[in-house]
Amino acid sequence: MRDGFSGTLLALFAVFAPLSLLSFGGGNATIADIAHQSVAVHHWTGDREFADLFALSRAAPGPGSMLCALIGWKAAGVPGAIVATVAFYLPASFVLFVVAKVWGRWRGSVWHQAVERGIAPIAAGLFLSGGLAVLRVTPAGLAAWIAAGLATAALLYWPKLHPMPLLIVSGAVFGLIDLLGVRL
Amino acid sequence: MNDGERPAIADVSFGTLFLAFFRLGCTSFGGATGAWVYREMVQRRGWVDERLFLTDMALGQSMPGSNGLKMALLVGLRMKGGIGAFTAPFAMLIGPLVIILAIAAVYGRIANIPGVDAVLDGVAAAVVGLTLSSGISAVAQGTPEPAAIAIVALTVLAVGILGWPMLPVFLTLAPISIALAWMQARRQPRAP
Repeated sequence: MRDGFSGTLLALFAVFAPLSLLSFGGGNATIADIAHQSVAVHHWTGDREFADLFALSRAAPGPGSMLCALIGWKAAGVPGAIVATVAFYLPASFVLFVVAKVWGRWRGSVWHQAVERGIAPIAAGLFLSGGLAVLRVTPAGLAAWIAAGLATAALLYWPKLHPMPLLIVSGAVFGLIDLLGVRL
Repeated sequence: MNDGERPAIADVSFGTLFLAFFRLGCTSFGGATGAWVYREMVQRRGWVDERLFLTDMALGQSMPGSNGLKMALLVGLRMKGGIGAFTAPFAMLIGPLVIILAIAAVYGRIANIPGVDAVLDGVAAAVVGLTLSSGISAVAQGTPEPAAIAIVALTVLAVGILGWPMLPVFLTLAPISIALAWMQARRQPRAP
Protein backbone atom coordinates (compact mmCIF):
# COMPACT_ATOMS: atom_id res chain seq x y z
CA MET A 1 0.00 0.00 0.00
CA ARG A 2 2.70 2.41 1.07
CA ASP A 3 4.76 1.36 -1.94
CA GLY A 4 1.83 1.97 -4.28
CA PHE A 5 1.30 5.45 -2.83
CA SER A 6 4.90 6.61 -3.08
CA GLY A 7 5.03 4.96 -6.49
CA THR A 8 2.15 7.20 -7.60
CA LEU A 9 3.89 10.28 -6.24
CA LEU A 10 7.05 9.34 -8.14
CA ALA A 11 5.03 8.77 -11.31
CA LEU A 12 3.38 12.20 -10.92
CA PHE A 13 6.81 13.77 -10.60
CA ALA A 14 8.14 11.82 -13.57
CA VAL A 15 5.23 12.98 -15.75
CA PHE A 16 5.07 16.65 -14.79
CA ALA A 17 8.76 17.56 -14.40
CA PRO A 18 9.67 16.88 -18.07
CA LEU A 19 6.51 18.63 -19.25
CA SER A 20 7.62 21.64 -17.20
CA LEU A 21 10.82 21.88 -19.24
CA LEU A 22 8.97 21.46 -22.54
CA SER A 23 6.27 24.04 -21.86
CA PHE A 24 7.54 26.66 -24.30
CA GLY A 25 4.88 29.27 -24.92
CA GLY A 26 3.31 28.84 -21.48
CA GLY A 27 1.66 26.12 -19.43
CA ASN A 28 -1.33 25.82 -21.74
CA ALA A 29 0.91 24.40 -24.46
CA THR A 30 1.16 21.17 -22.47
CA ILE A 31 -2.53 20.45 -21.81
CA ALA A 32 -2.81 17.87 -24.59
CA ASP A 33 0.20 16.00 -23.17
CA ILE A 34 -1.20 16.19 -19.64
CA ALA A 35 -4.46 14.68 -20.90
CA HIS A 36 -2.66 11.86 -22.70
CA GLN A 37 -0.47 10.99 -19.72
CA SER A 38 -3.17 11.12 -17.06
CA VAL A 39 -5.96 9.42 -19.00
CA ALA A 40 -4.39 6.95 -21.43
CA VAL A 41 -1.04 6.16 -19.83
CA HIS A 42 -1.56 6.30 -16.04
CA HIS A 43 -5.35 6.09 -15.67
CA TRP A 44 -5.38 8.75 -12.95
CA THR A 45 -8.67 10.04 -14.35
CA GLY A 46 -11.25 8.90 -16.88
CA ASP A 47 -12.01 10.85 -20.06
CA ARG A 48 -15.09 12.47 -18.61
CA GLU A 49 -13.44 13.20 -15.31
CA PHE A 50 -10.53 14.89 -17.08
CA ALA A 51 -12.98 17.19 -18.86
CA ASP A 52 -14.55 18.04 -15.48
CA LEU A 53 -11.17 18.82 -13.93
CA PHE A 54 -10.27 20.95 -16.93
CA ALA A 55 -13.51 22.95 -16.52
CA LEU A 56 -12.75 23.34 -12.82
CA SER A 57 -9.22 24.62 -13.49
CA ARG A 58 -10.67 27.20 -15.89
CA ALA A 59 -13.15 28.42 -13.27
CA ALA A 60 -10.55 28.93 -10.53
CA PRO A 61 -8.01 31.77 -10.38
CA GLY A 62 -4.31 31.31 -11.09
CA PRO A 63 -2.37 29.77 -13.96
CA GLY A 64 -4.49 27.61 -16.28
CA SER A 65 -2.02 24.82 -15.75
CA MET A 66 -3.27 24.47 -12.15
CA LEU A 67 -4.90 21.54 -13.89
CA CYS A 68 -1.85 19.52 -12.87
CA ALA A 69 -2.66 20.14 -9.18
CA LEU A 70 -6.12 18.66 -9.76
CA ILE A 71 -4.70 15.61 -11.55
CA GLY A 72 -2.29 15.11 -8.67
CA TRP A 73 -5.16 15.42 -6.20
CA LYS A 74 -7.19 12.77 -8.07
CA ALA A 75 -4.20 10.44 -8.22
CA ALA A 76 -2.91 10.78 -4.64
CA GLY A 77 -4.85 13.35 -2.60
CA VAL A 78 -3.28 16.53 -1.22
CA PRO A 79 0.30 15.13 -1.30
CA GLY A 80 -0.29 14.28 -4.96
CA ALA A 81 -1.50 17.81 -5.67
CA ILE A 82 1.61 19.29 -4.04
CA VAL A 83 4.00 16.92 -5.82
CA ALA A 84 2.40 17.56 -9.23
CA THR A 85 2.46 21.34 -8.72
CA VAL A 86 6.07 21.41 -7.54
CA ALA A 87 7.11 19.07 -10.37
CA PHE A 88 5.37 21.25 -12.95
CA TYR A 89 6.67 24.63 -11.76
CA LEU A 90 10.01 24.07 -10.06
CA PRO A 91 12.23 22.77 -12.90
CA ALA A 92 11.20 25.52 -15.34
CA SER A 93 11.51 28.18 -12.60
CA PHE A 94 14.95 26.93 -11.64
CA VAL A 95 16.18 27.02 -15.23
CA LEU A 96 14.76 30.52 -15.70
CA PHE A 97 16.38 31.73 -12.46
CA VAL A 98 19.82 30.44 -13.45
CA VAL A 99 19.56 31.84 -16.98
CA ALA A 100 18.35 35.21 -15.65
CA LYS A 101 21.29 35.42 -13.21
CA VAL A 102 23.89 34.47 -15.83
CA TRP A 103 22.28 36.67 -18.49
CA GLY A 104 22.15 39.65 -16.12
CA ARG A 105 25.91 39.45 -15.65
CA TRP A 106 26.51 40.71 -19.21
CA ARG A 107 24.06 43.57 -18.92
CA GLY A 108 25.41 46.72 -20.53
CA SER A 109 27.49 45.15 -23.32
CA VAL A 110 26.50 45.95 -26.90
CA TRP A 111 25.72 42.39 -27.98
CA HIS A 112 23.65 41.79 -24.85
CA GLN A 113 21.58 44.84 -25.72
CA ALA A 114 21.19 43.69 -29.33
CA VAL A 115 19.93 40.25 -28.25
CA GLU A 116 17.48 41.73 -25.76
CA ARG A 117 16.19 44.33 -28.20
CA GLY A 118 16.01 41.78 -30.99
CA ILE A 119 14.03 39.23 -29.02
CA ALA A 120 11.69 41.77 -27.39
CA PRO A 121 9.42 42.22 -30.47
CA ILE A 122 9.21 38.43 -31.00
CA ALA A 123 8.29 37.98 -27.34
CA ALA A 124 5.60 40.63 -27.66
CA GLY A 125 4.31 38.93 -30.81
CA LEU A 126 4.15 35.55 -29.07
CA PHE A 127 2.35 37.17 -26.16
CA LEU A 128 -0.29 38.62 -28.52
CA SER A 129 -0.52 35.29 -30.34
CA GLY A 130 -1.41 33.57 -27.07
CA GLY A 131 -4.56 35.70 -26.93
CA LEU A 132 -5.45 35.06 -30.56
CA ALA A 133 -4.97 31.32 -30.07
CA VAL A 134 -7.71 31.36 -27.42
CA LEU A 135 -10.07 33.09 -29.86
CA ARG A 136 -9.28 30.61 -32.65
CA VAL A 137 -10.48 27.63 -30.60
CA THR A 138 -13.30 29.15 -28.52
CA PRO A 139 -16.75 27.61 -29.06
CA ALA A 140 -18.30 31.06 -28.52
CA GLY A 141 -17.35 32.21 -32.05
CA LEU A 142 -18.02 35.79 -33.11
CA ALA A 143 -19.28 36.83 -29.66
CA ALA A 144 -15.85 36.05 -28.18
CA TRP A 145 -14.10 38.22 -30.80
CA ILE A 146 -16.47 41.12 -30.03
CA ALA A 147 -16.06 40.77 -26.26
CA ALA A 148 -12.26 40.53 -26.61
CA GLY A 149 -12.20 43.60 -28.84
CA LEU A 150 -14.30 45.66 -26.43
CA ALA A 151 -12.21 44.56 -23.43
CA THR A 152 -8.98 45.40 -25.29
CA ALA A 153 -10.26 48.90 -26.09
CA ALA A 154 -11.47 49.54 -22.53
CA LEU A 155 -8.20 48.36 -20.95
CA LEU A 156 -6.10 50.48 -23.34
CA TYR A 157 -8.29 53.52 -22.74
CA TRP A 158 -8.25 53.20 -18.94
CA PRO A 159 -4.76 51.92 -18.00
CA LYS A 160 -5.55 51.84 -14.26
CA LEU A 161 -8.85 49.96 -14.58
CA HIS A 162 -8.93 46.62 -12.75
CA PRO A 163 -9.90 43.90 -15.26
CA MET A 164 -12.33 42.19 -12.89
CA PRO A 165 -15.48 44.23 -13.76
CA LEU A 166 -14.93 43.42 -17.45
CA LEU A 167 -14.62 39.70 -16.68
CA ILE A 168 -17.82 39.76 -14.65
CA VAL A 169 -19.83 41.65 -17.27
CA SER A 170 -18.56 39.49 -20.13
CA GLY A 171 -19.20 36.25 -18.22
CA ALA A 172 -22.69 37.39 -17.24
CA VAL A 173 -23.61 38.41 -20.80
CA PHE A 174 -22.37 35.10 -22.24
CA GLY A 175 -24.21 33.14 -19.55
CA LEU A 176 -27.41 35.06 -20.23
CA ILE A 177 -27.15 34.54 -23.99
CA ASP A 178 -26.66 30.81 -23.39
CA LEU A 179 -29.61 30.52 -20.99
CA LEU A 180 -31.89 32.40 -23.41
CA GLY A 181 -30.80 30.01 -26.14
CA VAL A 182 -29.61 32.70 -28.54
CA ARG A 183 -27.00 31.51 -31.08
CA LEU A 184 -24.59 34.04 -32.50
CA MET B 1 10.38 56.95 -20.42
CA ASN B 2 12.81 59.54 -19.07
CA ASP B 3 14.82 57.98 -16.31
CA GLY B 4 14.95 61.04 -14.10
CA GLU B 5 11.31 61.21 -13.08
CA ARG B 6 10.52 57.80 -11.72
CA PRO B 7 12.82 54.97 -10.68
CA ALA B 8 12.62 51.96 -13.02
CA ILE B 9 12.01 49.67 -10.04
CA ALA B 10 9.97 50.71 -7.01
CA ASP B 11 11.30 50.13 -3.52
CA VAL B 12 8.62 48.26 -1.60
CA SER B 13 8.87 46.10 1.50
CA PHE B 14 9.12 42.34 1.31
CA GLY B 15 5.70 41.90 2.91
CA THR B 16 4.09 44.30 0.44
CA LEU B 17 5.60 42.33 -2.44
CA PHE B 18 4.32 39.04 -1.02
CA LEU B 19 0.81 40.39 -0.43
CA ALA B 20 0.60 41.98 -3.88
CA PHE B 21 1.45 38.71 -5.64
CA PHE B 22 -0.74 36.70 -3.28
CA ARG B 23 -3.70 38.95 -4.08
CA LEU B 24 -2.91 38.84 -7.77
CA GLY B 25 -2.84 35.03 -7.71
CA CYS B 26 -6.21 34.84 -5.98
CA THR B 27 -7.88 37.25 -8.43
CA SER B 28 -6.29 36.27 -11.75
CA PHE B 29 -9.26 34.50 -13.30
CA GLY B 30 -9.39 33.25 -16.87
CA GLY B 31 -5.74 32.27 -17.37
CA ALA B 32 -3.21 34.52 -19.17
CA THR B 33 -1.46 35.25 -15.86
CA GLY B 34 1.43 36.94 -17.70
CA ALA B 35 -0.97 39.67 -18.78
CA TRP B 36 -2.30 39.89 -15.22
CA VAL B 37 1.23 40.51 -13.90
CA TYR B 38 1.77 43.25 -16.49
CA ARG B 39 -1.54 44.93 -15.71
CA GLU B 40 -1.03 44.89 -11.95
CA MET B 41 2.72 45.46 -11.51
CA VAL B 42 3.48 47.74 -14.48
CA GLN B 43 0.28 49.61 -15.29
CA ARG B 44 -1.65 49.80 -12.02
CA ARG B 45 1.09 49.83 -9.37
CA GLY B 46 3.97 51.13 -11.50
CA TRP B 47 6.51 48.97 -9.64
CA VAL B 48 8.49 48.06 -12.75
CA ASP B 49 8.74 50.27 -15.81
CA GLU B 50 7.52 49.16 -19.23
CA ARG B 51 10.96 48.83 -20.76
CA LEU B 52 12.33 46.58 -18.04
CA PHE B 53 9.22 44.43 -18.21
CA LEU B 54 9.60 44.11 -21.97
CA THR B 55 13.23 42.94 -21.74
CA ASP B 56 12.22 40.48 -19.02
CA MET B 57 9.36 39.31 -21.21
CA ALA B 58 11.89 38.61 -23.98
CA LEU B 59 13.85 36.40 -21.60
CA GLY B 60 10.70 34.77 -20.19
CA GLN B 61 9.17 33.94 -23.56
CA SER B 62 12.43 32.25 -24.62
CA MET B 63 12.16 29.82 -21.68
CA PRO B 64 9.66 27.10 -20.84
CA GLY B 65 7.10 27.45 -18.03
CA SER B 66 3.88 29.23 -17.11
CA ASN B 67 4.05 32.80 -18.45
CA GLY B 68 2.58 34.34 -15.29
CA LEU B 69 4.98 32.61 -12.93
CA LYS B 70 7.95 33.38 -15.16
CA MET B 71 7.06 37.07 -15.09
CA ALA B 72 6.43 36.93 -11.33
CA LEU B 73 9.88 35.38 -10.86
CA LEU B 74 11.60 38.01 -13.02
CA VAL B 75 9.74 40.93 -11.40
CA GLY B 76 10.58 39.48 -7.97
CA LEU B 77 14.23 39.13 -9.00
CA ARG B 78 14.35 42.77 -10.15
CA MET B 79 12.75 44.04 -6.94
CA LYS B 80 14.27 41.89 -4.21
CA GLY B 81 16.98 39.72 -5.76
CA GLY B 82 17.10 35.93 -5.30
CA ILE B 83 14.69 35.87 -2.37
CA GLY B 84 12.19 37.91 -4.39
CA ALA B 85 12.54 35.51 -7.32
CA PHE B 86 11.47 32.71 -4.99
CA THR B 87 8.79 34.62 -3.10
CA ALA B 88 6.81 36.25 -5.90
CA PRO B 89 5.88 33.05 -7.82
CA PHE B 90 5.30 31.18 -4.55
CA ALA B 91 2.94 33.90 -3.31
CA MET B 92 1.14 33.88 -6.63
CA LEU B 93 0.72 30.11 -6.67
CA ILE B 94 -0.21 29.25 -3.09
CA GLY B 95 -3.61 30.99 -3.03
CA PRO B 96 -4.97 29.41 -6.24
CA LEU B 97 -3.66 26.00 -5.12
CA VAL B 98 -5.62 26.12 -1.88
CA ILE B 99 -8.71 27.54 -3.62
CA ILE B 100 -8.79 24.96 -6.39
CA LEU B 101 -8.34 22.05 -3.99
CA ALA B 102 -11.10 23.41 -1.77
CA ILE B 103 -13.49 23.70 -4.72
CA ALA B 104 -12.50 20.26 -5.98
CA ALA B 105 -13.11 18.72 -2.56
CA VAL B 106 -16.54 20.32 -2.22
CA TYR B 107 -17.97 20.02 -5.71
CA GLY B 108 -15.87 17.51 -7.57
CA ARG B 109 -17.51 18.55 -10.79
CA ILE B 110 -18.69 21.82 -12.20
CA ALA B 111 -19.19 20.94 -15.86
CA ASN B 112 -22.83 19.89 -15.55
CA ILE B 113 -24.26 23.11 -14.17
CA PRO B 114 -26.14 24.82 -17.05
CA GLY B 115 -24.59 28.02 -18.32
CA VAL B 116 -21.23 27.54 -16.56
CA ASP B 117 -19.38 26.78 -19.77
CA ALA B 118 -20.82 29.87 -21.43
CA VAL B 119 -19.90 32.09 -18.46
CA LEU B 120 -16.33 30.73 -18.54
CA ASP B 121 -16.15 31.39 -22.30
CA GLY B 122 -17.22 34.98 -21.63
CA VAL B 123 -14.58 35.39 -18.92
CA ALA B 124 -11.95 33.87 -21.22
CA ALA B 125 -12.90 36.28 -24.01
CA ALA B 126 -12.49 39.30 -21.70
CA VAL B 127 -9.10 37.92 -20.59
CA VAL B 128 -8.05 37.77 -24.25
CA GLY B 129 -8.67 41.53 -24.14
CA LEU B 130 -6.30 41.71 -21.17
CA THR B 131 -3.61 39.84 -23.13
CA LEU B 132 -4.06 41.94 -26.28
CA SER B 133 -4.09 45.27 -24.45
CA SER B 134 -0.96 44.29 -22.46
CA GLY B 135 0.86 43.20 -25.61
CA ILE B 136 -0.15 46.31 -27.54
CA SER B 137 0.86 48.78 -24.85
CA ALA B 138 4.14 46.92 -24.23
CA VAL B 139 4.94 47.23 -27.94
CA ALA B 140 3.85 50.87 -28.07
CA GLN B 141 6.02 51.80 -25.07
CA GLY B 142 9.01 49.60 -25.73
CA THR B 143 9.76 49.21 -29.43
CA PRO B 144 8.73 52.15 -31.57
CA GLU B 145 11.17 51.37 -34.46
CA PRO B 146 9.52 50.27 -37.73
CA ALA B 147 11.73 47.17 -38.00
CA ALA B 148 10.61 45.98 -34.56
CA ILE B 149 6.95 46.60 -35.39
CA ALA B 150 7.40 44.51 -38.54
CA ILE B 151 8.87 41.64 -36.46
CA VAL B 152 5.91 41.84 -34.05
CA ALA B 153 3.51 41.71 -37.00
CA LEU B 154 5.31 38.74 -38.60
CA THR B 155 5.27 36.81 -35.32
CA VAL B 156 1.56 37.47 -34.79
CA LEU B 157 0.82 36.44 -38.39
CA ALA B 158 2.80 33.19 -38.18
CA VAL B 159 1.89 32.00 -34.68
CA GLY B 160 -1.30 33.86 -33.77
CA ILE B 161 -3.15 33.81 -37.11
CA LEU B 162 -1.68 30.95 -39.17
CA GLY B 163 -1.18 28.82 -36.05
CA TRP B 164 2.39 27.71 -36.89
CA PRO B 165 4.35 26.10 -34.01
CA MET B 166 6.15 28.78 -32.03
CA LEU B 167 9.60 27.24 -31.64
CA PRO B 168 10.58 27.14 -35.36
CA VAL B 169 9.12 30.62 -35.83
CA PHE B 170 11.14 31.89 -32.88
CA LEU B 171 14.36 30.26 -34.11
CA THR B 172 13.86 31.71 -37.61
CA LEU B 173 12.98 35.27 -36.59
CA ALA B 174 15.38 35.63 -33.67
CA PRO B 175 18.64 35.84 -35.69
CA ILE B 176 17.05 38.30 -38.16
CA SER B 177 15.65 40.49 -35.41
CA ILE B 178 18.87 40.44 -33.37
CA ALA B 179 20.90 41.36 -36.48
CA LEU B 180 18.55 44.29 -37.12
CA ALA B 181 18.89 45.47 -33.53
CA TRP B 182 22.67 45.10 -33.77
CA MET B 183 22.84 47.21 -36.91
CA GLN B 184 20.64 49.83 -35.35
CA ALA B 185 22.79 49.97 -32.21
CA ARG B 186 25.87 50.61 -34.37
CA ARG B 187 24.19 53.30 -36.42
CA GLN B 188 23.08 55.41 -33.48
CA PRO B 189 25.95 55.39 -30.98
CA ARG B 190 24.12 54.70 -27.74
CA ALA B 191 20.78 55.45 -26.21
CA PRO B 192 21.11 57.49 -23.01
